[in-house]
Amino acid sequence: MSDEWAPGILARARARVTGAVSVPAAEPVPPGLAAVPDGPRTWLLPSWPDGATPAVLEQYELAPMPLDRSGQARRVLAAALRCCWANLDDAPWPGVPAPVPAVLDVYAGMTRGDAALAGRWATGELRRLADTGWLVLDEARGVVRTGPRTALWPHEALGPLRDLLRRMPGPSREALGDE
Amino acid sequence: MSAVDPEPVPSLDDALEGEAVLGVYRQMFAALARDGGAVVDDPELVDVAETLLAAFADAGEDGLSREQMRYVCRRYPAEVFENRLRVLKGLGAVREVFPKPNQLRYRASFTSVVGLMFVRRMMLDGGQSEMHRLLALEQLNVADPRMTPAQARAGAEGLARAFRLWSVELLTLTNGTIEELREQAPKLWGADEILAGAERLHGAILRRWPELDRTCTELRAALYAYGDASRRAAARLSDSAGLTRNLTLLPPETWRTFARTASRDELAAVLDGFVFDAPAPWHEPSAVVAAVADAPRAVPVRPAPPRPSGPDPGLADRADAGTADADRLREVAEQALRGRDRADVADLLDGDWPAARRLLADLSSAHLHPALPYRLVWGDGLAARPGAAPSWVSPGVFERTDR
Repeated sequence: MSDEWAPGILARARARVTGAVSVPAAEPVPPGLAAVPDGPRTWLLPSWPDGATPAVLEQYELAPMPLDRSGQARRVLAAALRCCWANLDDAPWPGVPAPVPAVLDVYAGMTRGDAALAGRWATGELRRLADTGWLVLDEARGVVRTGPRTALWPHEALGPLRDLLRRMPGPSREALGDE
Repeated sequence: MSAVDPEPVPSLDDALEGEAVLGVYRQMFAALARDGGAVVDDPELVDVAETLLAAFADAGEDGLSREQMRYVCRRYPAEVFENRLRVLKGLGAVREVFPKPNQLRYRASFTSVVGLMFVRRMMLDGGQSEMHRLLALEQLNVADPRMTPAQARAGAEGLARAFRLWSVELLTLTNGTIEELREQAPKLWGADEILAGAERLHGAILRRWPELDRTCTELRAALYAYGDASRRAAARLSDSAGLTRNLTLLPPETWRTFARTASRDELAAVLDGFVFDAPAPWHEPSAVVAAVADAPRAVPVRPAPPRPSGPDPGLADRADAGTADADRLREVAEQALRGRDRADVADLLDGDWPAARRLLADLSSAHLHPALPYRLVWGDGLAARPGAAPSWVSPGVFERTDR
């Protein structure tokens, strides 16, 4: 039964269930998936036809994938990008690893209120973003890096994001010196 | 009307008969009476009556004195108790053991207790189990050899009336709001059993007394109407049930039976339309920018500094304003001239039209630019060049003006 399915369908189903998966770079990329190279491995991500992104859902007036506290998640992503996207003229992927405390510090500078509470919220968002492939989080080493999904961003849409990250204050010295 | 059917003069016997009937009615519903002429408006008042009747049942044939009754009902305020006792006495549910003045001991009426039992049962499920009981009783009655056709006819007519009213109520619910229908959903439970029981009864009556076919037809029509109405109401409920996920619309036994007996496909169909492996959320760069812009700010936004009141000269006199554009046009023009002082436009535009029209636009801009020493000079005439691109040109020259 299973050999009736095309490898592309199986790969897409696996990608939807498990999220982003990385395979050795030598393996063939099934059709319908975008391959994002990452050193000796390759991330397989579901890609949209014709270079579209899920942002087209808005043009079709369809509800996007529901997301709890989307504003907070995106601010944490912006904080992580501020630390990991070192060379802004380059593409955000693959980025450089940055210590998690630096990201939390940038995020705390972006919000008001209790910094410890903001740090806990941001840690949860970091894990969620790492689950969905937007960041690569190494909790054992305490470093974070941009995720393979950022490689799917079209280049022409990155201008405002670059401007934002240039304006955004970076992590303080203590946060960088911590680790 | 009086000519056809003269009104019989009411006799004392008739009055006595009517009074007896009324007495039964009064005793039956004494527990529900607020005063001599209206129904209670507070469920607690019925509880008082029930407490009293239970105490009377325990007291035996001696009955209760007024003080004992008050003691039994000590939970309730005095005026409530007095009011209840007056009403119950007035309607004959509680009466003196001996009808003489200054009687101290009272006894309760059996009819009132039965009436209250009936009322409580009706409250539980809106008369549906009562319908079951009635059907079962009628079934027994029909099998009874002492049953007369007149009694059977009366029973069948009563059932037909009840089913008619029931179907009218269901139809009203079906056409009303869905919330109301949901509240009344217990009325729909077990409609099939009731229908089956009623059809059995109908068949039994028809077999035993074929002369009652007219009454039976009425009953059958009422049954069909009831079946239609309940099916329609159930369809409306199940249509909306998928939206509400209100599991109380059906009795728990039905859910359990479904879970045990349904096939795998039927069980899987319950979750049709659910996506468990939801795709990952997408963060568009512009959405990230917007989220940061909308962030609650650590420091309040500062107002812009005041502007000078005089006119703003702007950036126009800056030395390097607009040089990038001119530099590019100069580069294009020099590339077109390739060291010469003048070049034929028709030669320059040789090639495919998309590239040629870009070049033409740049040459025109260089011609119109005040700081650049180039110009386009067009002659008269029009050369048609079928098959070539551009397919027609005017003779023109692009030249520099500074030498």
